[in-house]
Amino acid sequence: MFSFTKNQEVFDISGVHIGGQPGIYPTVLFGGLFFKGEPNFDDAKNELKKMMTLSEKTGNPAIPDFFIKKEEDIEDIINFIEKTLPKNYPFSVDITDPSIKVKILECLHEKKMLSRTIYNSIHVGITDEEKLTLEKYTPDAAIIVAFNPKDKSPDGKIEVLENGAHLTDKGLLDIAKEIGIKKILIDTAALAPGENSGASIAAIPVIKEEYGLPAGCAIHNVVEKSKWLDNFGVARKIVDAASNITINIFGGDYAIFGPIANSDIVFPIMAWNDILISEYTENYFGVSPVDSHPRRKFRP
Amino acid sequence: MSPEIKTSVIGSYPIHIDGMELMSKYFDQTEISWKKYIKNAVSDMIAAGIDIISDGQTRDPFVQIFTRKFKGCRIRERTEIIGKIEYNDPITIDDQKYTRSLIPDNVELIGLITGPYTLTKSCVDLFYNDEKEIAFDFAYGLQQEANALQEYVDIISIDEPFFSMGIPDYGKELIEIITKDISCPTRLHVCGDISEVIPEVLDMPVDILSHEFKASPHLFNSFKEYSVSKKICVGAVRSDDPRIESVDEIVDHIRKAFDVFGEQIVQLAPDCGQRMLSKNVAFQKLKNLVMAGEKIKWQRKKFH
Repeated sequence: MFSFTKNQEVFDISGVHIGGQPGIYPTVLFGGLFFKGEPNFDDAKNELKKMMTLSEKTGNPAIPDFFIKKEEDIEDIINFIEKTLPKNYPFSVDITDPSIKVKILECLHEKKMLSRTIYNSIHVGITDEEKLTLEKYTPDAAIIVAFNPKDKSPDGKIEVLENGAHLTDKGLLDIAKEIGIKKILIDTAALAPGENSGASIAAIPVIKEEYGLPAGCAIHNVVEKSKWLDNFGVARKIVDAASNITINIFGGDYAIFGPIANSDIVFPIMAWNDILISEYTENYFGVSPVDSHPRRKFRP
Repeated sequence: MSPEIKTSVIGSYPIHIDGMELMSKYFDQTEISWKKYIKNAVSDMIAAGIDIISDGQTRDPFVQIFTRKFKGCRIRERTEIIGKIEYNDPITIDDQKYTRSLIPDNVELIGLITGPYTLTKSCVDLFYNDEKEIAFDFAYGLQQEANALQEYVDIISIDEPFFSMGIPDYGKELIEIITKDISCPTRLHVCGDISEVIPEVLDMPVDILSHEFKASPHLFNSFKEYSVSKKICVGAVRSDDPRIESVDEIVDHIRKAFDVFGEQIVQLAPDCGQRMLSKNVAFQKLKNLVMAGEKIKWQRKKFH
């Protein structure tokens, strides 16, 4: 368990606090919706309700992470977010196609929702058009994916943040700052098993110590690619959810935990681990958890 | 091209790396291959008619290609030395093997080594506090790479641009460490204005010397003062200027080189790596270089 010498940023993203020294703020949990690209809004509504209830119970903030894969779904999904989430509640948009990213930013601007948007994500594939659109329609926060195809180690992740590993004309941090993004979250880029997958966890304290920015990742992706788990029946879902505890135990601030349907297991596991961390960090480093922390909620 | 004079490259070739394509591989969690980029560079060099090609050094700038793989180095804004420098695993061998598989039998392959002094001068030292020790540790690491490399290439070129700013008294020893067990021909490329270090360069334990004569034509006069027994690679098109030299302009330049070096000339090349040029410009420069070489060959045959 860690305490960092570098001052740790805490961002308030539309009421959700993220970052800081381990043991103070509960881990923020991003639950994914519409990953398969076929939005089912009834199911999504139920799942969101379930996740919000778990969030209230445990104290771990929940961020719905909306995958938007097709241009024709943009309006429906943004309308759904507008109608379903509480007023001003933060959410993230998780998009890979640069042309869809541009259209979504325009749509979020029109609907005046950028102040509650976490843009997922900026990475070495950023296009000039995307940069210009981000400058024009700047979301409140953005996740930078520190994926360096040349070096998968924690050093490689620092390199891509610092200088873009010569794949972009400058470092990803500078790109985000020049765009005008004030609240930057670092995703340490979990990789498939055999591709130095543990480096994404090892990189969390390295990045927090180097920059003081909130850090986390989607470590559950590594579980998804661990095909051997198919031989162990129900274990897959449990391992998938449990993998997230590697993030907060290494000082991380958020977990992109995969399908929102896994909330029922992920929230209690992460709350349990946050309590474990907080007990130690308060005793050893003297940092106290905030009132909303699971340790306050479940004080024995 | 006459058998005694060949067209060559110095090292890098400009290839656009598609960041989004790399990210798609990340999102799909599938393996990233660099072969497409190597093939792209190699295809251009072959299409231009170059006799001795490289892998294009597409992965990284010429310093980071090596420092990324050495123990004791980490890459930040520049490479930082944070521990003892040691050779870890082969650095360029896989790319050279792949490049070899792409090229026809009549095209030769050049293996590229960034020199130990240039690596030393390009890094930020946070460990040694002794520049000479760093340079020697790099040299011993590069020796292992060169020894492995010679199996797969026809010639090895050591790139030492920092020599142009002064060669340390141990400079020759550094190069000797790399070349002493190499059985294929070796070339030392030093770009920049080397007029102050010509005697030391002429004494280097390599077969061929390569310099940027096009950007620094006054070097012809500087070399006239010395007896040159080494073979020469003439830089004949600029690597720092997008203007495409005409074939006649290149021919005139090579003629001037012949006035100074005569039969010692064995290679014609760009002044330096072409990374900073656009792909179209780099390609056209290589094409014109090849055509100029053919013209020289024809004229020399006629003359003889």
